[in-house]
Amino acid sequence: MAALRANWFYLAVLIGLLILPAYAESEFVTAVMPRGLSGSALLHIFVLIFFFAFMSQAWNIIGGFAGQLSIGHAAFFGIGAYVSTICYVHLGLTPWLGMFVAAVFTALVGAGLGLISFHYGLKGPFFALVTVAFAEITRLILLHWEFVGAANGILLPFSPNPTFWEFQFTSKEPYYYIALAMMLASIALVAWIARSRFGYYLHAIRQDEDAAEAVGVPTKRCKVQAIALSAALAGLGGTFYAQYTQYIVPDDMVVGRVSVEILLGAVIGGAGTVMGPIVGAFILIPVGEATRVIFEGGGTGTSLSTLIAADMSFGDKFVAYLDYLAAGGGGGLAIILYGCLLMVVVLGMPGGVLPWLAGLRARARRRAEASA
Amino acid sequence: MSLMEAKGVTRRFGGLTAVNAVDFRVEQGEIVGLIGPNGAGKTTFFNLISGFLRPDEGEIRFDGQSIIGHKPSDICKRGMTRTFQIVKPFPEMTVTDNVMVGAFNHHRDRAAARAKASEVIELVGLGPQAAKLGRELTVAGRKRVELAKALATEPKLMLLDEVMAGLTPSEVAGMIEVLGRVRAAGVTMVIVEHVMQVIMNLSDRIYVLHHGEAIAEGAPDQIVSDAKVTKAYLGESFVAEAGGGAAS
Repeated sequence: MAALRANWFYLAVLIGLLILPAYAESEFVTAVMPRGLSGSALLHIFVLIFFFAFMSQAWNIIGGFAGQLSIGHAAFFGIGAYVSTICYVHLGLTPWLGMFVAAVFTALVGAGLGLISFHYGLKGPFFALVTVAFAEITRLILLHWEFVGAANGILLPFSPNPTFWEFQFTSKEPYYYIALAMMLASIALVAWIARSRFGYYLHAIRQDEDAAEAVGVPTKRCKVQAIALSAALAGLGGTFYAQYTQYIVPDDMVVGRVSVEILLGAVIGGAGTVMGPIVGAFILIPVGEATRVIFEGGGTGTSLSTLIAADMSFGDKFVAYLDYLAAGGGGGLAIILYGCLLMVVVLGMPGGVLPWLAGLRARARRRAEASA
Repeated sequence: MSLMEAKGVTRRFGGLTAVNAVDFRVEQGEIVGLIGPNGAGKTTFFNLISGFLRPDEGEIRFDGQSIIGHKPSDICKRGMTRTFQIVKPFPEMTVTDNVMVGAFNHHRDRAAARAKASEVIELVGLGPQAAKLGRELTVAGRKRVELAKALATEPKLMLLDEVMAGLTPSEVAGMIEVLGRVRAAGVTMVIVEHVMQVIMNLSDRIYVLHHGEAIAEGAPDQIVSDAKVTKAYLGESFVAEAGGGAAS
């Protein structure tokens, strides 16, 4: 019954998301949006949510289901973006096809990385370190390779009257719907995996590799397949990002921060669950954006120390403090707050939000049974 | 042709020869016991024939084919499955899902795997606990899940590493009953066990390992009267007890 309620909830959210762009500029949305945010900024935030949900879902296959911690998915993401962009710029191949070239390429790279790592039996932190090193090598290659623009990256050729075939749009709505479709497709794929033999095998591998191998699970092959599939999806995400931002550069894409953002969604929402990465992205991106909007910005006006020293009542001081924050004071406070929030979630709900909720429900049910 | 045959199997760990030139064979339909004091090399021998370790020397044939160098999952596919002395249920899966992982060995389809799993769960008597998570089970429950997972792979030969260890006498009786049903279902078994009552009652033949060597082989009554075995493992009192039992 709980599952049924959750499905209705997800359906309602989906309908809301489908019609949101039509109301993005409505008076109601403008009224409830934080100061200075337009409807287009709202759509941008949702594109980010969908995009990170999709990337996190890609990570979830190897990192969540198979339990092999990758802290290098930014590499697959970056390689995907570069492959489709090079195909587009040098060969004139539409990104709609280029994204699948990118996916095949990143799948091969992922499979290669998996074959080497798993052949030598790398597990846990050792596999994680390999992925970190792999991402760093990827970044350095892109950073020094003149053909792909080295440190300057690639600016995608802008067409003034873009056609659909060019995967370029002058408004946010098409990107919004493409990102939404990608997220939905990733959910469908992972939901299917979760019910398949492959999904059972991955879960078994995560929980006890020897026990899995003993009952006939070809653990190495499954892990290689999982990382290849995961990398392919991350490659698709890379193409989307390149088309959305129209500019790709190694130091923005293939960095640890991005790898961590990709895995955080799944870790916070519930790694190894179908909806975990989605729930995680829907929590993390708005919180991240909100702390940034509220606590960062120009950083002008009075400094915090003069405010503390100022001679006024506590109430006035508090109002002045809010003004100070609203005017963009605080600087790094946003990141500190974001980090504290992460710590609370990780400590309080070690399995992620969804498993935590499931645990609450199970406990409530048991209590109801005990009292009945 | 024997179902499984090991010839001159040897495995060394540094200077220690854990398993030394062991010959071992299992015929179709038998229950073969493997006994020996702690550290005799029983678990190492299991690891060798199930593919978790590679022998330094020797030959292992299963169903007529050499399985040296094959992965455990591959050996399982061919029909030889093992359990672990330190049981390994998947802790975050229900009992049904645990057993389904094994059932997927021969059933690609989810519904078919589930049907096979329920059948095995009934056979081992875990029906009432099917919806519990692996980590929520008692020791006895875990041992049965371990057995059920292996059975669900539909093995021709099952290697059971101390499935009775840590069980109460009544739980042991229950497990013996389960193994009887498994045997009736036509599964050949090799059992490692410390509970002598179990091994003497169940086994058709027994091998005795000591310091990595197979020092004796034979029917249970031959084994209890073997002087080497008595000295190495069983102790005088057991012989006296068994002899007294036979006399009364």
